Amino acid sequence: MELNCLGMNCPLPIINLARAIKIEAEVILLSDDPATLPDLAAWSRMTGNTFSIIGKDKYLVKRL
Amino acid sequence: MLKAGSVLGVGSVTANFQSESPLHPAARAFLTDAFDRGWADPAKVPQDSRQAAILRNEAKEIFAKQLGIRADQFEFLADPSIGFHLGISGLLTPSSTLYYSAVDRSEVFAVAGTAAAEKLPVSLNGQTAYPTAGKYDVLGWQAINGETGIRSQDPNGFSGQLFVDATTAGHVAKLPQGWSTALWNSKSWQGPSGLGIFAVADRSAWRNPLPHLDNQISHSEYSLPLAMASALALDAHVSEYRQNESRIRENNSSIREFLSKEIPDVDIAGTLESSVPHLISFSILYIDAQILVSELDRRGFAVDSGSACSSENLEPSHVLAAMGLLTHGNIRLTLHNTISSEAVQSFLITLKELVEKIRD
Repeated sequence: MELNCLGMNCPLPIINLARAIKIEAEVILLSDDPATLPDLAAWSRMTGNTFSIIGKDKYLVKRL
Repeated sequence: MLKAGSVLGVGSVTANFQSESPLHPAARAFLTDAFDRGWADPAKVPQDSRQAAILRNEAKEIFAKQLGIRADQFEFLADPSIGFHLGISGLLTPSSTLYYSAVDRSEVFAVAGTAAAEKLPVSLNGQTAYPTAGKYDVLGWQAINGETGIRSQDPNGFSGQLFVDATTAGHVAKLPQGWSTALWNSKSWQGPSGLGIFAVADRSAWRNPLPHLDNQISHSEYSLPLAMASALALDAHVSEYRQNESRIRENNSSIREFLSKEIPDVDIAGTLESSVPHLISFSILYIDAQILVSELDRRGFAVDSGSACSSENLEPSHVLAAMGLLTHGNIRLTLHNTISSEAVQSFLITLKELVEKIRD
């Protein structure tokens, strides 16, 4: 599943991601908000989910 | 028409947890008196220059005693931020490397941009591993972080020159052994803004990086009334802090406990043991800080935030990002000496209600 959050400000990308990851075990997140990368790291630490950077403004997020 | 009280919305604040605190009553009383006496031009006050010298020396003695420096080691700065340049650049030689932390103030970053410099990473608990250094290398060492309240570990292992950023710490942190230059901001003890204290441990190891005519530390034309008012505020703040410290620590502890137990998914910066008791920063997952801050404000609680959505440039706090803490939903509290435990409890209950409402 691809989740397009381009143009959205924090915390919307993370909120939308949290909703999406409940439905899909893997989500490709598109986000150009400067808070997304640090917040993905913190969110992963807090929730146990994992993520990797797969392109510019593009992240692969995997459910725990 | 502008009226007194109309700007600040006097009476609407149940508790002010913002770092920008009201001027200490001791400073306010002195300044009112000073202005009544016609001290409009700081360069010419008071008319009797001998009296001015006495007042200046009295103020200097207070700063020396409360900050742990000698009166001949420091000068006043009308612009505290220039102290970062004086303190760091004044220690650099052509062979120096400047080491600084990823959670340092942006003023340190600005100076680092002009020198051979290395930014040191920080861990999740806000600490930096200091490198082995040569005699002429310089470390920018922040005594206490202004956003998180975390104390930096002692830089004893660093063998180079040491610039101490005590702009948040004020009198609360002692100067580390081997310090070279140090900077304080009057605002940290509820003194007036527009006054910095800049100290040099040993003049022979420091060169004024600004164009200058003699070997004075500073040529900035500071305000003597502000320096006097700041000294009185510092004296009063030290004793009030001592009186209130254990209560403030209990409040900080109960805030941490409440956040851990009552609100799910809160990322708290550091531990109480690693921090000063009067500052705390936490980030609440899935919360827009801008909404939370304005809702709290409507209910009479003034707080700060380091989140991007509440900052002017829409950039998240570099401190939170460097530590790996959540940058959205961030709230920063300053537990001033005057804030009661009841106000803290009332704030926490309101916070929980608002978080549940916003997350819903």
